[in-house]
Amino acid sequence: MSSPPSASASSSPPPCPKKMITLRSSDGATFEIEETAALQSKTLENMIHENCASTLIPVPNITGEVLARVVEFCSKHAEAGVDDESLGAWDEEFVAVDHTTLFDYIRAANFLEIPTLLDLGCQTVADMIKGKTPDEIKKTFKITTACTPEEEEEVRGENQWAFE
Amino acid sequence: MAFSKLPDDVISQIISLTTPRDACRVSSVSTSFRSIADSDQVWLKFLPPDHDKLVLPQVSPKKSLYLHLCDHPVPIGGNRNMVSARFETWSEPHIFSLDKKSAKKCFMIGARELAIPGGDDYRSWCWIAEPNSRFDQVAQLLFAGWFHIKARLETKMLSPKTRYAAYLVFQFRCHKSGFHRPAVSCVSVESDTDTHREWPTVVLDPGEGEPRSTRERGDGWLEIEMGEFYNENGDDGTLECSFKEVDEYTLRSGLVVEGIELRPKETY
Repeated sequence: MSSPPSASASSSPPPCPKKMITLRSSDGATFEIEETAALQSKTLENMIHENCASTLIPVPNITGEVLARVVEFCSKHAEAGVDDESLGAWDEEFVAVDHTTLFDYIRAANFLEIPTLLDLGCQTVADMIKGKTPDEIKKTFKITTACTPEEEEEVRGENQWAFE
Repeated sequence: MAFSKLPDDVISQIISLTTPRDACRVSSVSTSFRSIADSDQVWLKFLPPDHDKLVLPQVSPKKSLYLHLCDHPVPIGGNRNMVSARFETWSEPHIFSLDKKSAKKCFMIGARELAIPGGDDYRSWCWIAEPNSRFDQVAQLLFAGWFHIKARLETKMLSPKTRYAAYLVFQFRCHKSGFHRPAVSCVSVESDTDTHREWPTVVLDPGEGEPRSTRERGDGWLEIEMGEFYNENGDDGTLECSFKEVDEYTLRSGLVVEGIELRPKETY
C-alpha cells in the first residue's frame, strides 16, 4: 500500500550526525567527545584543523582518569539550554575534589588551553588562599620549600600592611 | 602533584585572582613564590584596567606603581580647562585612589562638587582654602537652620562585586553648634524605589558619654559613615549619598565639609 504524497513541503532534512573525536590518554585509554565540545580546547581545535582526516587525537600529557573528567567538563559546557545558575552549581561540584586532582585538572586545562576550566580551577585555588596567613597557606598546600627566616622577615618588613 | 609544581604562569594567574594582601602573604611563603607573587604579571591585574589614562609618575615595577597609587590619590575627571569665574580655580571633582589590601577603587567627591542647596548663599556657607585638604576649597557652614548635602556618582565607576560605604568627611570649627542634634543620611541608587525606607540617624557631635560614630581619619579630618551599597556589576545607574538635618529649627554652625568619600566596606 503506497502512502499518499504528503501535501506539505518535503520533510525537514535529517539531523546532521554529530562529528565525534576520539582522544587517547597517556595510558592508552580512549574517550569519545563531540567535536563541538572538543573545540573548547584551543589545542584540540588546532589539532583538529591540522589533522582533518584523522579523528583520533593522542593526548600524551594527561592520564585516562583526568582526561575522562576533562571530556565530561567540555561536554557539559557545550550543552545547549543549560542556565548559568545550574552550570555554576555543576562547576562547583566538579571542583569539589582533593588538591592533587584539582591541580591535575588545572594542568590539563593549561595544556589543552581550555579557558573555562583553567579559570574555574585557578579561582578555586585562589579562594583557598584568600584570607590565610603564610603558615596556613604552607599547611594547606603542604609547601615545604620555605623561605629562610631572614628572607621572611625581609618580606614582612617591606609589606607590613599586608600582615596586620 | 604539589601546588608549587604548577607552571609559573598558572601560579601567577592564581595569585592574581586573590587580593594584594594575599599576594604579599604568598610572597613570604617561599623564594620561588616571592618572585612570582611580586611579578608585573600579577600586579598589572591589581591595577585598574584604565590606569594608563591616569596621570601617574613613571614608577616601576608594577607593584611599586600600585602602592604609589594607593598612597598618592590622583584627581580625575573635572574640567582642567574650565576656570571657575568666581574663584579662579580648576574644577577637579573627584580624588581617586585604591584600597591597598583589596585593590578596589575609592573616590572622594570634593565639597565643590557636592549638591549643597544654599551653598552659594554667603550668609549660610562660605568657601575656604584649607591647608590639609586635598581640594582647593572646602565648604564651611556659617549659620543655617537646614542643610542638605548630596553626592552623586555613577555606579559604573566603582569596582564590581564590592560593598561600599559612604563617609562624610568633615571638621568642626570652635564655634560649632547644633550638631548634637541628629541628622539623617542615606545611600541609594535611582532604581531603588523604596521611598518609605527610614533614613538612619547620625549624630556628628554627640555629648559626653553618648555613643560616638565619628572617627578620626588620620589626615586631620573626621568622618562618619552615611550608609552602604553593594555594587554588583556597576549597572545600577547613579548612586546618591545624602546627608541632611532632621529639624530645621535647630540652628547649626561651625561645620566644615571636605567632601564625601566612597570606599570598600569589607575588611580584608
